Amino acid sequence: MYSTESRRLFADYLYCQKDYLRAIDEYQEIAGTAGSDTINFKIGLAYLKIGKYEPAGLSFIKIKENSYYYSNARLEFFKTQFLLSNYDTLERNGDNLLPVKQLNVFSYLLDYKTLPVKNKLLSIFEGEDRRAVSDFYERKLNPPYKSELTAIILSTLIPGAGKIYTEEYSDGIIAFIVTGIMGYISYTDFKADHKLRGWVFAGLSTFFYAGNIYGSAASAQIFNAKVNFKLSTDMKLFIENKDYFIPDYEFCK
Amino acid sequence: MIKLFVLICLGMQVLFAQTDWEKWGKADIPYTINSGTVSRNYSIGSDNPGQIILKSLVIGYWVIISDVDGDNCPFSPTCSSFFLQSVKETNIVQGTLMFADRFTRDMNTFGRLSHYPISRNRHLYDPPTLYTLDKDKIKYIPAGVIVNE
Repeated sequence: MYSTESRRLFADYLYCQKDYLRAIDEYQEIAGTAGSDTINFKIGLAYLKIGKYEPAGLSFIKIKENSYYYSNARLEFFKTQFLLSNYDTLERNGDNLLPVKQLNVFSYLLDYKTLPVKNKLLSIFEGEDRRAVSDFYERKLNPPYKSELTAIILSTLIPGAGKIYTEEYSDGIIAFIVTGIMGYISYTDFKADHKLRGWVFAGLSTFFYAGNIYGSAASAQIFNAKVNFKLSTDMKLFIENKDYFIPDYEFCK
Repeated sequence: MIKLFVLICLGMQVLFAQTDWEKWGKADIPYTINSGTVSRNYSIGSDNPGQIILKSLVIGYWVIISDVDGDNCPFSPTCSSFFLQSVKETNIVQGTLMFADRFTRDMNTFGRLSHYPISRNRHLYDPPTLYTLDKDKIKYIPAGVIVNE
């Protein structure tokens, strides 16, 4: 019952049932036996599936050069490095593997490194992928950022305009109304010779006016952070849908 | 009808079943009950005269108005806590400007849910770190995402 073969079959069953943690436990029990490269490869895949990239990478690196799974393990190793954001490892891609080169392109697009020339980056992609990567490149090169200075100037001229510029429309309108109402009340109070109330509302109007100018600059920064976030999310989703340019394995038929 | 009910129950179980990691992974079990409400620090906790005056004013507001009024601020941290944290994070002038901006946003009741992430206590998560004008401190979280803070 506890023979190596039975345990391997049981571990394979657990793996195919997506019970990866228990599959890893079973595989590790027989990892030192014959066929251990295949077992290490499956341990690595199981760790990858549950998002444990570091142990996954360590399992893939154990696989020997003469193994059937060696080239696949190299690809999977680089995938783990990509997921761990160890982009320098991709740069040192000694095996010159195409999927790794493609992942390296995304490391440039995701990281804040200097972008190489577009044609050089796109040369390793074809068809739809080339178009998508070209689009990401353009978005990275010319992000639709909002200028903080413009937001400040606009809000100084018209309260709330800076927020509208950063696409916070309702915040902008509310800021305009609040500052306007406070200013108007202050004006009518001064006109009616209610000096104290006039000063109180003038103070409140200034408070909201200044706060809105400051908030417009902050809003522009948040807008830009949102642009960066959206680009990196779109790219990560694209790579995930492409399965990191790595061929799929069908262990569970 | 009963069959449909059973099917829905089973379907819900399948949809919301635990992942293997949750099922078999180690978990540190907290034995305290988390009420999910915001706990307030009523101590002055500073030697800085400015901080002492500011905190005293805010504690006064908490005791006389806020605690009596109830948990009504839609944001987390609340506007008064946001003010204190902003001043601590920056300085009195910048903190006041941050508070003025927050106060204006607090008056805007339109489209809040499509704008802010949600905190653990089901309030709109809006930390002062987003507004210090320090780009490195901005950690963008999409609207509607539940933040465990």
